[in-house]
Amino acid sequence: MQALCAAGAVMAERIVIIMPQGIPAMTVFAGAMMLGAVPAFLAYPNDKVEAAKYRSGLAGVTANLKARLVVIDEGFPEEMLEYVSLSGETKVIRAGSGVSESFHDSPATPGIAVSDISAESIAFIQHSAGTTGLQKGVALTHAAVLRQLEHLADALRIDGAHDRIYSWLPLYHDMGLIACFMLPMVCHLPLIMQSPLDWVMVPETMLEVITEHRCTVGWMPNFAFQFVPRRTRVERRARYDLSLLRALINCSEPVRMGSMREFESTFAANGLRPGALQSSYAMAENVFAVSQSNVASARGPMRIYADGKEFRGSHRIVRVRDDAPGAICFTSSGQLLPNHEVRVVSDSDEELSAGSVGEILIKSDCLFNGYYNRPDLTAQAIVDGWYRTGDLGFLLDGELYVIGRKKDLIIVGGENLYPQDLEEIASEHPAIHEGRVIAMGLYNADLGTEEIVMVAEVETEEDLVNAAEIEHEIRELVMTGMGVAVGTIFLKPPKWVVKSTAGKPARSSTLEKLRGEHPNINFE
Amino acid sequence: MTDEAKQMIEYILQRIRKPTLAIDENTALVSSGLVDSMALGDVLLKLEDLTNMRIRPGAVKPKDLDTVAKMFATAQRVGKPRK
Repeated sequence: MQALCAAGAVMAERIVIIMPQGIPAMTVFAGAMMLGAVPAFLAYPNDKVEAAKYRSGLAGVTANLKARLVVIDEGFPEEMLEYVSLSGETKVIRAGSGVSESFHDSPATPGIAVSDISAESIAFIQHSAGTTGLQKGVALTHAAVLRQLEHLADALRIDGAHDRIYSWLPLYHDMGLIACFMLPMVCHLPLIMQSPLDWVMVPETMLEVITEHRCTVGWMPNFAFQFVPRRTRVERRARYDLSLLRALINCSEPVRMGSMREFESTFAANGLRPGALQSSYAMAENVFAVSQSNVASARGPMRIYADGKEFRGSHRIVRVRDDAPGAICFTSSGQLLPNHEVRVVSDSDEELSAGSVGEILIKSDCLFNGYYNRPDLTAQAIVDGWYRTGDLGFLLDGELYVIGRKKDLIIVGGENLYPQDLEEIASEHPAIHEGRVIAMGLYNADLGTEEIVMVAEVETEEDLVNAAEIEHEIRELVMTGMGVAVGTIFLKPPKWVVKSTAGKPARSSTLEKLRGEHPNINFE
Repeated sequence: MTDEAKQMIEYILQRIRKPTLAIDENTALVSSGLVDSMALGDVLLKLEDLTNMRIRPGAVKPKDLDTVAKMFATAQRVGKPRK
């Protein structure tokens, strides 16, 4: 805190923290908050993100924040500093490894006082996911953060005497920052954290940590529910004990039943309790959670089956039996937290009834103040106190179901198609690399509607020799699976699809790249 | 080059989906972006198989696996024989 004070960390000044995951980074963040400054974590450089993309993002975000201080660690690459936007008054300090020790001493250090902070002042800035250079800084007040933590602790039935949080989630993401840093800090819960890099290299370490430290609660995005089972050695599974894990919460991506089942079935013999896998709908703009499934229920999140044709054609949910032809399964993201309201609206902003699919709008006592320094974006996002999430979903029997992003929706002849469904089907083809497919709807003026365009990476460049055959087989798979025709398929070599900072295929950047490579094709 | 190193190179080429790429024991894999962190987990599992070692998670950083030569040296340094 002394170093922060000396460097000018004062009330309301922004402090950018670009440090590896760990206690020193968390210490700087908490110290800045105690001084009344406004910290923001930014992602540390890593091999998952293209260097050019990272650099442009860094420049854009730091320019928008106009930070007084940029705190980096000793290993932060000097050449990367060129891309940090530094005004005349901005100082860069390198935090040494002793930062966490010095923090413990500092409250007693003369001359440093914990600031008298107003509940309505900004506590910190979270950066919402998206194209790196365009990331928006979500400004959150202390009051909103504390109210969220109270609701979350209640919904999760947090027990200070027994709960222990496990996390591999990055601190610049809302799951990592709120659920796995703020919640344990405020509720005085032990937190056992590993770096995202260690986890991604050996996902099985998560099971070791949970077993050894008797962790009870954790969060992960949907893909991890498949990633961990597939990378855990069969012969080592028996050593893990997941019996104390009471809530492993699927959050931040649409919840897929298949992924949850894979995790459940793989680790059923490890004491994983029925209902231990749960779900939540969360976003940085609401601090974190909007809804949470019932952690006391032994059956886990609600699942329903709906008629596929009605869903795609009429945008509404008509429940059917699970074995009905064309039935689609939806997994609930749970019930709304207290003081949260959701409206589901049509394209013309009419409120829709339960079971109708539309854009999710939320109002709560945890909502953000706006995007930092971006009144234009704030005005678009918050209308009459309602935050337009840009997500599509529906309410049914008091449960919230989230389907995907509104802007990604493909509408072909009035039929709503969700890119994730098309991408999942194309990924089944043996020559296509799983998770490296993007489906988009692009307007075709001749047809007067959108047509489906898919970009898919082949497993090896040699597969491109059989491109025509592979394309034909993908079309057949999609036609059989969803009854729709794909307009154009672009097969691309390995590593062609652009990935976001979160490691997911980035639609807009991929489309931009496609336009660059195929200037004669009309993508409007 | 040992048979194990050859097998590792073969595996890496298959894993990164570039079977015709020419790499040797000293080709930079991680720092050059050829092998990303997601693929590195699989490479680590393969390394355990080829060396018959158990490599403690957390004992290895990406830079320790930057080349095939470094991978085997790392396994010798931090690995323990499998039971």
